[in-house]
Amino acid sequence: MIDSEQHPYVEWIAREARRPVVTDPVARERLMAAIRAEPAPTTRVPFWRRVVEPRALLLSPATMGLLAAGLVGIGVVAGGLAMNRDGRSVDQPRVGVAPQLPVSDTVVRFVLVAPQAETVSLVGDFNGWDSTRTPMARAASNGVWTVTLPLSVGRHVYSFLVDGKWSVDPNAPLAPDDGFGHANSVRIVRKGSAL
Amino acid sequence: MSDDAADVQRVLAGDVDAYAALVDRYYDRCARFAIRMLGNRDDAEDALQATFLRAYRALNRYQERDRFSAWLYRILVNQCRSIAARRAHRERVFVREEALLLNAPDRAVTWSGEDEEFVQRVLNELDPLLREAFLLKYIEEMSYEEMSALTGVGVSALKMRVKRACDRLRERWERIKND
Amino acid sequence: MPLHRPPRFAFGLSLAALVALAAIRPAAGQDAAPVDRMVKLDQYNRAAVELMFDSAATLGLPVSYLRSVVYEGIEKHADNRAIVRAVRKQFDLLKTARATLGAIDSGELSGAAAVLYAGARPNQLHSFRVQQKSQNRLEAFTVWADLLTRGVPAEDAFTGIEKLWADGADDATFLRLWKNVQSDILQGLNPGTALQNRIRETPVRASPQTVKPPEGQQENQSSR
Repeated sequence: MIDSEQHPYVEWIAREARRPVVTDPVARERLMAAIRAEPAPTTRVPFWRRVVEPRALLLSPATMGLLAAGLVGIGVVAGGLAMNRDGRSVDQPRVGVAPQLPVSDTVVRFVLVAPQAETVSLVGDFNGWDSTRTPMARAASNGVWTVTLPLSVGRHVYSFLVDGKWSVDPNAPLAPDDGFGHANSVRIVRKGSAL
Repeated sequence: MSDDAADVQRVLAGDVDAYAALVDRYYDRCARFAIRMLGNRDDAEDALQATFLRAYRALNRYQERDRFSAWLYRILVNQCRSIAARRAHRERVFVREEALLLNAPDRAVTWSGEDEEFVQRVLNELDPLLREAFLLKYIEEMSYEEMSALTGVGVSALKMRVKRACDRLRERWERIKND
Repeated sequence: MPLHRPPRFAFGLSLAALVALAAIRPAAGQDAAPVDRMVKLDQYNRAAVELMFDSAATLGLPVSYLRSVVYEGIEKHADNRAIVRAVRKQFDLLKTARATLGAIDSGELSGAAAVLYAGARPNQLHSFRVQQKSQNRLEAFTVWADLLTRGVPAEDAFTGIEKLWADGADDATFLRLWKNVQSDILQGLNPGTALQNRIRETPVRASPQTVKPPEGQQENQSSR
């Protein structure tokens, strides 16, 4: 049985395709001209640029924890450690400026009234449908469970897990059941939405 | 530190010409993949421009312990996919006779540019995903692990694609041979 | 650091390769998942969904949406076959939505897929190819899918939503419609009737200036 990967015809095609191609030097010059016109990529983003033009940073777990604990909105948290996407921490000047949220995220609050419940968590496409990621906190007095977190702009599908049972958000539009036996809820997040 | 990593550091320190060195090192090789993948030079050139621009912009995210070529190829493969998806496939018409092919594996000759186009026509017949896997395996000579990291597709799925591509090519040979 | 794709240790990738993979992914909110959840699918089913992801990527369809379906299925303890079926279904819906609506963003696309899933017909989406300045398909699709899911007959839902859309209704109008209909249904009214009533009482021409999102829209005070 001949291994098709060593068939002489296939080998020939591969050998031919491997031959170097001749490229147009003009195209390369055009490329370098475009490169030179670009702003230089640097390891650090200067502070002033961060303020004027917030970059798409993912928030560190510490920062997200702060937000979830109820310190909502920009301008409340001072300093704080931001991380760029490689997980390297990027120094931020220690002035009274909150960690800049990415341009495409908005902080959103979810609320569920469930006085009898013992545990409630928010589960959805923004946390990989992992019910351990976003537990909700109960206000002692009135059985109201809340959590606040940054969500990217767009459409999000989610549900609440209340004492092990899936529960839609009674005040949100329904999304049809995805084939797993439970309908879900939809949250639309818009740029610059209020909390 | 490899040459690539050193050049990246220089670019990040502000030396744009160091990027020209990287481009020189990789442009033709990337061009070969892009042309073979997309089937024509115009689309390939667009893919190359977009790839090297994106790489430049994302350079501060490249980490020294990774192979620069793998990192660059990730971008290249995605750019080729975008362009293929956006544009209609343009078939080229070749004049070269297929009879030439019958003698091909036995002859040691100098292949002209027209034969290069013939090979391209054969490759163009492959489904894009099969072609991509075939090129990465046999033209770029990557391991399945590298291909998997690059394309985001699992190793077993990639092996299946490469095998299918070879099967298709073999079928083509059988068809031509028996005419 | 959240990775957009879960690392595939099962396939023996080096950490360096994984970092290279992660470094190029676009930031996408918080849709990362912990390391090992995908391995809950057996190899065969996992290859099946990965191939669908790859095909989707090639077609410019949102892979994160499909991936999310897998995670949802895993968390809801669905069996592997059901998960693969669900991904296949959503993939087909995305393709249909894209074919019908053309170049819309992934939020609208997934919203349209939900509408189709809930029972709308593809040709009903045609009316939404065109939109006026103050209009946002996403809100219309969301309300439409909700109504269908709550039991409004498909023709009634389409007629009502389409009428509002053609009249230039904006987000606020759709949201108001939804709230009213939902409240009516909760009070026992037949869904189709509830919708028809509320459509009838919605003003024919929406106000021309842009409308801010209504107060409390981002906050759901639920009352049981």
